[in-house]
Amino acid sequence: MSELLKFHFTPADKARPEEENLHAQVSTDVTDVIKALQEQFPGAVTDVSVYAGEHTVFVARENLLQVCTALKETLGFTYLVDLAGVDRFQEDAPRYEVYYCFVNLKAGKRLRIKVRVEEDDAVVPSITGLFKAADWNERECFDMLGIRFKGHPDLRRMYMPEDFEYYPQRKEFPLLGIPGSLPLPPRTPEGELTLDPFAAARSGSPVKSYQEPAANDEK
Amino acid sequence: MPPTTSYHDQEHIFSFWPRHNETILKRLESKDAWLSTRRGIEVSRVEDALEHEMTLNIGPQHPATHGVLRCVVKLDGERIEKCVLDIGYLHRGIEKLAESKTYQEFMPYTDRMDYLAPYANNVAWCMAVEKLANIEVPERAQWIRMIMCELARISSHLLWLGVGLMDAGAVSVFLWTFQGREDLYNIFDEVSGARFTVSHSRIGGLATDLSPKAIAMIRDFATRYENIVRGWQKLLNRNRIWIDRNRDVGIVSADEAIALGLTGPNLRGSGVPYDIRTFEPYLKYDEVDFIIPLREEGDCLARYHIRVEEMLESLKIIRQCLDRLPEGPIRTDDAKKAYPSKNEVYYSMEGMIHDFMYTETGVTPPKGAASYHAIESPKGELGFYLESDGTGCPWRARINAPSFTNLQGLESMMEGHPVADIVVLIGSIDPVMGEADK
Repeated sequence: MSELLKFHFTPADKARPEEENLHAQVSTDVTDVIKALQEQFPGAVTDVSVYAGEHTVFVARENLLQVCTALKETLGFTYLVDLAGVDRFQEDAPRYEVYYCFVNLKAGKRLRIKVRVEEDDAVVPSITGLFKAADWNERECFDMLGIRFKGHPDLRRMYMPEDFEYYPQRKEFPLLGIPGSLPLPPRTPEGELTLDPFAAARSGSPVKSYQEPAANDEK
Repeated sequence: MPPTTSYHDQEHIFSFWPRHNETILKRLESKDAWLSTRRGIEVSRVEDALEHEMTLNIGPQHPATHGVLRCVVKLDGERIEKCVLDIGYLHRGIEKLAESKTYQEFMPYTDRMDYLAPYANNVAWCMAVEKLANIEVPERAQWIRMIMCELARISSHLLWLGVGLMDAGAVSVFLWTFQGREDLYNIFDEVSGARFTVSHSRIGGLATDLSPKAIAMIRDFATRYENIVRGWQKLLNRNRIWIDRNRDVGIVSADEAIALGLTGPNLRGSGVPYDIRTFEPYLKYDEVDFIIPLREEGDCLARYHIRVEEMLESLKIIRQCLDRLPEGPIRTDDAKKAYPSKNEVYYSMEGMIHDFMYTETGVTPPKGAASYHAIESPKGELGFYLESDGTGCPWRARINAPSFTNLQGLESMMEGHPVADIVVLIGSIDPVMGEADK
């Protein structure tokens, strides 16, 4: 394994699941739901981790839709609160994970499930067919991390314009951005696209143009 | 001069970010019209002989969109046939920035999310970190946080009320509610030293205690505004114009609201009793007496009633908090988990070192720790999902912003309504783009 980044003053101790958390809530204790899922879909739940009284249920990607259907239809988790992606850069493979936060309004329970995907096959089945609320969150996750959602009706970028070609929340994306990746509007109606000040300080012309790049023999 | 018939003909004007505009228009074309999705009526694709149809771009620079929200709508006469919302014009990448800041350093950024209720965001962030790192908060700090969160709720709702009425054509209420916000800003100024971006909460407690003057100001506000809000209710609850503009506009049923993932007053306006203050009681909300206003109509009027009633409930909570405010420290005494007091920093070497270390590294939750903590912010459920890698900076800080989730529902709410209702609908959803765009 490659050398890990060094951080100063880092306590080496790992999270201890048995430690009592002062802010733990009753609503996140979902052991019975996990049991029901394990019984209904043997093999679907790959791992369960606990921290601060919160369970995280790791689900295999091929079982995600089954599990979500069961959660919605039989287990009462009808309300999708949050959905987002996490980049686990430099951790053991797989690289990306998508986390879902469901709420059971009647029983007052909150559940978190996670799906892990490999970097070269970052595709997760879309749950928009079951939960309409997942629509924009999946788009955001695609925009920020480049994870694709199979079956999403409208997988456009959420925040960045379509003309942007990078996935900014990946760990390798520089914090200052990529110079010239988003040209600014021209100053006059017929003028040229302008550069952002950061890029202007570094190079003379916009890196990007809206013309197709010329093929080698056309040059 | 040739007549310009559609948005496409003006393409030369909108040459900036061409692919972006292209995909939005493509989406607008491919979307089903509201008549077929809601009522199951097949919309025939006949030639628009009478030229009723029009594609209209509203925003992002439009005062009625409450920020930089862009709506691209397909109109049939005056009715909205389809709508596509475009956000991201205020996107600053806060989640990315958080990954390179220590936990305490990131707190001022939360002020800039929902800038109408910065205190609630500070508290939400600090509580999320406290859960992740298992930090105790003294009693007095919890009560003060509660008071300030409720003041933030009132401040946010006051702006919503004033601007909402101004959208509907009544300017005087806007001036009255801004007078209220002025009083609140004076309170925030006295408490934290800043009027707008307060940044007063700290991990493990608060920056400073309430001064006697601040307590007197809050008490004065909490007693005086009860009558003022009731006066506004008298003016508006039976106001013909206000009711006609709001009733039966943007109806969302309870099932639809859950499916769309609406939160906060928008969800409760549809009759779903989901409020984090009772769902997962944080701070001392389980010890005070208040009710969660609930309506079942699901239209703009219901959302109006809920927000105004919430203001009255908040005033009630604040009065109870002031009566029960205990004496004691306002920040936890563990210098590895919270800033030491300024007296300690100025007069002892250890205090100085701890202050320096806390600024440099801050709290270090254990490696692999992950937790989600949500509070009921004025707009709805504001949650932070944090993952730690054992360092002083979060590995991943996910912000579940209520304005973002609420805006998602707006698209389907707008379809089928006249153009004139757009401003009322956006107002009743109460989005803040700083939060929706993160």
